[in-house]
Amino acid sequence: MNGHPQHEEDFDLYALGVLEGEEKQALEAHIAVCAACAAKSAEARGRVSLLALASKPIAPPAVVKSRLMEQVRAESSPARAREESRTTERAGGLFGRWTWAWAAAAAVLALATGFLWYQNVKEQEKIQQALREATATELKIQNAQKLIAILQAPDSVMISMASSDSSQVTGKVCYNARLGKLACSTHLPAAPSDKSYQLWLVPMAGNPVSAGLIAPNMISTDDMWMTDVKAGMAAKAFAVTLEPAGGMPQPTGPKVLVGLAPQAVTFSNPKGKIQAYSIHATAWGVASGSTPNWPVHARESSENMR
Amino acid sequence: MSTGTGTELRATDVTLIEQVVARDEAALSALYDRYSGMVFSVVMRIVKDSQAAEEILQDVFHQLWRNASRFDAARGSLPGFLMVSARNRAISRMRRKGAGLSDELNENTVVLPYNLESSIAQKQLLGKVTGVMESLPAPQKQAVELAYFEGLTHSEIAERTGEPLGTIKTRLRSAMETLKNSLNP
Repeated sequence: MNGHPQHEEDFDLYALGVLEGEEKQALEAHIAVCAACAAKSAEARGRVSLLALASKPIAPPAVVKSRLMEQVRAESSPARAREESRTTERAGGLFGRWTWAWAAAAAVLALATGFLWYQNVKEQEKIQQALREATATELKIQNAQKLIAILQAPDSVMISMASSDSSQVTGKVCYNARLGKLACSTHLPAAPSDKSYQLWLVPMAGNPVSAGLIAPNMISTDDMWMTDVKAGMAAKAFAVTLEPAGGMPQPTGPKVLVGLAPQAVTFSNPKGKIQAYSIHATAWGVASGSTPNWPVHARESSENMR
Repeated sequence: MSTGTGTELRATDVTLIEQVVARDEAALSALYDRYSGMVFSVVMRIVKDSQAAEEILQDVFHQLWRNASRFDAARGSLPGFLMVSARNRAISRMRRKGAGLSDELNENTVVLPYNLESSIAQKQLLGKVTGVMESLPAPQKQAVELAYFEGLTHSEIAERTGEPLGTIKTRLRSAMETLKNSLNP
C-alpha cells in the first residue's frame, strides 16, 4: 500500500487485530509515516476498545485492590523499606559490636544511595509533570480562546432553547454564521441507552443541518461544547431532537428543545456591534468585556485568563 | 459557576494521572475504583479464569502506576488505553500471542470521544455497545466476538467457522462499518 487505505474500516479491522500478512504490514508501514492515518487509527482503536463493554459486568474481588496497593506501597518507598529492614536487624541482636558498626555504615550508605536515587527519580518526575501541566494548560487556553472567539464575535447570536414540556429542560446556543461555529450548553435528562440527543441548525431555506450529537453532556449537562458547521448559513432556529443512537442525517425523533434565532442584525457601525453583543451577552448572563462565567470550560478559561 | 451536577467534585482522569505521576497512591486507588470493573469484565470474558483475570487486572494497574508519566491523558483516553491493554494481555495469555497491538503507554494512543469517568456514563455506553452488538446479524456478531474476545485473525475465523475467507472479510467489514456509524457521537 503506497497511499491511504481505500476503506476507512481498515483502521477498525487493524485495531480488531484481524488483518494479517502483507495487508497488515502495509497498513502499519503507512500509519508510521502518515499523521492523518495515525490519528484515524487512534480513533478506530478507541471505537474497537469499546467492544470490551459487550462483556457481562463482573466486579473484581476486593483482594485484588489490596494486593495492588501493597505492591505499590512497597515499591514507592525504597528508603522506608531499607529503614524497616535495618531496625529489624538491630532488634534481632545478631551482630557483634563491630559487625553492627559496619552494618550500620553500610545501611547509612544504602540509605544515602537510596535517597539520592529517590531524589533523582522525583526530580525527573517533577520535570515530566511540569511539562505535562504546561501542555494541558496550553490546551485549556486554546479551548478557552476558541470559545471566547465565538462568544465575543460581534456577529454571533445567542439563542435560548426551551422545551414545551418542562422548564427544567433548557439549552443555549451561541452561533456565528460567518465563522460556521457554534457553542452550546444544555440541561437535558440522560438519553435512553439506544438514543442520542442531536442538535440541528434549521436554515432560512432548506432542510435542517446536523450540528452534532450532544454526547459530551452525557455526564455533566452543564458542559459547554463547541462544534463547526458549514460557514455562511443563516439560521432560522435551533432544535434538539431525540434520535436513534449515533444520530440521523435528518431529524426523525421528537423535538426536545427548540429556539428561534433572532432575525439577522445589520451592524452599521462599530458601536452598534458592541451594543448588540452586549444585549445578547447580558441576556445570557455574560457581562461584556469580562470572562464568561460558565461551568467547566468557562471555569478553565477564567483560571487561565487570570 | 454551576453547582449541582456532582461532577465538579470528581477529579478528572487527567488530574488523577498527574497525581499518580507524583506518586499519589490515593489517585491510583481512585482510578482503580473507576475502571477496574470494566477491565475485569473484559478480561474474565477472554480468559474465563478468575485467578488469571485477577493477575491481569493487577498487572494492568501496576503498569499504570509505574509508567503513568509516559501517558498523555490530554491526547489519549485512559479507559480506552486500559481496555486495549487488558485485552492484549488476556489474549496473549490465552494464545501466547498479542492482539497485534503494542500496549506501551506512549505508543498507540487510544482516542475515545466519550468521557467514562462516572459509572452512569459507563453504564450508558455499555447499553449502547450491547445494543449495537445485538443489532448485528448473527454471523457478523460471531465473527466480531471471535476476533475481539479470542484474538483470531481473518483466516483463523474462516478456518474456525468453515466459511470462505472472503465471506469473513466482508462480514467483519460490515460489522466495523456499523460499529463506526453507531458509536461515533
